[in-house]
Amino acid sequence: MSVTGTLRTVRGRALGATDAGRPLEPGRSHANWVHQRDRRGAWFVVPFVIAFILFTLVPVGYSIYTSLYNTRLIGGTVFSGFQNYTATFQAGDFWSGFIRVIIFGAIQIPIMLAIAFFFATMFDLGIAKWGGAFRTIFFIPFAVPAVVASVMWSFLLEPQFGPFTHFASVLGFQGTNFLGTNLIFPTLILIVIWEWTGYNMVILFTALKAVPREVIEAAVLDGASLAKVVLRVKLPLVRPAIVVLVFLNAIGALQLFTEPLILQAYAPQSISNNWTPTLYLYNTAIGGQQYNLAAAGAVIFGLVIVVLSLVSLISRRRRGEFA
Amino acid sequence: MQISKNPNHRRRRLGISGAAVGLASLGMMATAVSGAASASSTRANKAAHKTVARAANGCAKGAVPITFWAWVPGMNRLVKQYNTSQSKVCVTLDDVGAGNPEYVKLAEALKSGNGAPDVAEVEYDELPSFEVTHNVVNIAKYGANKYKKYFDPWAWKEVSQGSAVYAMPGDAGPMGFYYNTKLFAKYHLTIPHTWAQFAADAAKLHKENPKAYLTNFSATDLQWVLSLMSQDNAFPFKYTGGSNVTIDFTGKKQMAFANFWQKMLGAHELNGIPDVTAQAFGAMDRGVDLSWLSSAWGPSYFAPDAKQSVGDWRTSAMPQWKAGQHVAANWGGSSYPVFSTSKHPAQAAAFSEWLNGTSAAWKTEVTAPSSLFPTFKPELNSPAFANITVPVSGPSHPNAVFGEAGKNAAAVSWPPFMTEALTLSGTTFAGVLNGKESLPQAFKTFQGQLVKYAKQEGFTVHTN
Repeated sequence: MSVTGTLRTVRGRALGATDAGRPLEPGRSHANWVHQRDRRGAWFVVPFVIAFILFTLVPVGYSIYTSLYNTRLIGGTVFSGFQNYTATFQAGDFWSGFIRVIIFGAIQIPIMLAIAFFFATMFDLGIAKWGGAFRTIFFIPFAVPAVVASVMWSFLLEPQFGPFTHFASVLGFQGTNFLGTNLIFPTLILIVIWEWTGYNMVILFTALKAVPREVIEAAVLDGASLAKVVLRVKLPLVRPAIVVLVFLNAIGALQLFTEPLILQAYAPQSISNNWTPTLYLYNTAIGGQQYNLAAAGAVIFGLVIVVLSLVSLISRRRRGEFA
Repeated sequence: MQISKNPNHRRRRLGISGAAVGLASLGMMATAVSGAASASSTRANKAAHKTVARAANGCAKGAVPITFWAWVPGMNRLVKQYNTSQSKVCVTLDDVGAGNPEYVKLAEALKSGNGAPDVAEVEYDELPSFEVTHNVVNIAKYGANKYKKYFDPWAWKEVSQGSAVYAMPGDAGPMGFYYNTKLFAKYHLTIPHTWAQFAADAAKLHKENPKAYLTNFSATDLQWVLSLMSQDNAFPFKYTGGSNVTIDFTGKKQMAFANFWQKMLGAHELNGIPDVTAQAFGAMDRGVDLSWLSSAWGPSYFAPDAKQSVGDWRTSAMPQWKAGQHVAANWGGSSYPVFSTSKHPAQAAAFSEWLNGTSAAWKTEVTAPSSLFPTFKPELNSPAFANITVPVSGPSHPNAVFGEAGKNAAAVSWPPFMTEALTLSGTTFAGVLNGKESLPQAFKTFQGQLVKYAKQEGFTVHTN
């Protein structure tokens, strides 16, 4: 908030100066100063720009270039125009994965944010003893690499020897197969929630800490109950943080890859090669060596995420969250 | 990550049973650590090289360097043996992953023109994928054909096109029928010598004990299904190089094969879980599955999971479609091609010929931890090899059965796109395991997918 405020004033002053004086012309001292400052500043962004060009623009450009060609086992490489794009648009395998991750996100994100908000509030209110220690413990799953987490959960949920399977049968659910066709979806949701709740909790906790004390004091003085303070005062004030988290988690859900890939080793009958869009792209490129087709799919996939990001940005700007 | 890109597709002989995946990934971390250690020891080796004529890897000074990729455990013993046996060539071994991970790296290195090894382990079914891209050297010009007479005919056929030889055949996986003698006695079953008897036994057993199955049918294991199909003379592919390929999963023979198994699957007379996994081995060990249609390398995979049934397993020839015949099949095994990017193809070919075509090499290869099953007849016929016993099978000699199967197996012609076929199959046949789809239906879907892929890749596709 304060940063944006400062920026606004700076810009306001600059505009004011221009308005008051004559129209900007090159060679004028004021304009020179502006230009010089920009150029010197430019050196500071050079490292980033180089990295950005090398590791973002060039690969993206190369993907687009690759997607316009077709390399065949028989016949070599030929220009194929948008053929790979039409093939991808018609590939039901690709879009069914899309629908799956959208449903996945629609279930996983709200549950995870609710849990994260609950614990963030607990720590923020200082109800829990050893808050700092518990915050660290909650954060640990985020520090565990997704591959390790997936392997660990595969062991825990393994249908024959997994302790959770054993636990389920003790509770009367004999023959539960967490990795079976029917349960693989909720199982993956649980694994992802386990991995990411701590991270989301820490961000919400920080946002809650940033809520001005006076606002809370005023609410308490006005006789608001604890529940009211939390739900009617704090929650609306951390809404921007929640919106950002929803957006980040949505992109994360769309890109779901590591967990299903690892679990596929344990449950090949439950996780198909096109279970998520990224798995489809991976298997098209590596399994079938159809790099061109996969490149077209990747470009389409990237565009979907760009569109989602823009929609989110625009909606947040409309609400005046930032200028 | 072998967890191979698609671990489930390359389970056999790759050490990836269900639970092993996790261990494998833990192992990778250990490898990463030991990798650092070995890097420094390599440096030490180089230093030592200057002063001593033969270094730790057995190489002589000034020998021609040959790089070799393989994943079979214990291959380092062979490399050292070769390096010490002569002084002109120095072979260095690299294990870059089992199966698919290696093929992906190979394909990339060959495409870029550098970084590919001189020789590598490539499974029979993957060899044509490297032939079609002209990445393997015809080693006939380095005298490979003089080894032809020493090999099982089917194995030689799978590495050659006419007089051109694209790899030396290595190990194999001739198939047999493993059965639990104790439980066969308990249910009064006899060894099924025909498939008709096999189907009758499956029904009989299931009636007697609905919780036990004659065997497990792992529909998602494409290579296994293809091996069974080849034994039924219903192998769906034909490819002899070039742009013509035959894909036929929906022909009369193929549909008859699918319907034969579907009848039992539909009646729930067979178990349906992915094979070569802890789950499948558990079912065998606990007496849920009474038999296993597997290959010569089967026992070494089953052994770690075999507990209460150790010693109860015997081996017999596969059931026959016509009584009295001896039709066999092969499941798995590798060949050792020389790559076109090699700067020393003659030396590379000589190494591959030594590795696969000499008794000196085979004497080591048949022993643990490699435990390879030869296609090299002098070793196959040696009494020492025939007398090998394994704990799972008690005092019996399974190699006698498998050696016979190796002789009787028919050669098949793999299409040059097995990686794609294997990738697709895991998903396409999953419905058969779940009981949501019939095997003939899955065959039809698979046919459509493969034909579409082959056409996209520019092949002229024939469907019968």
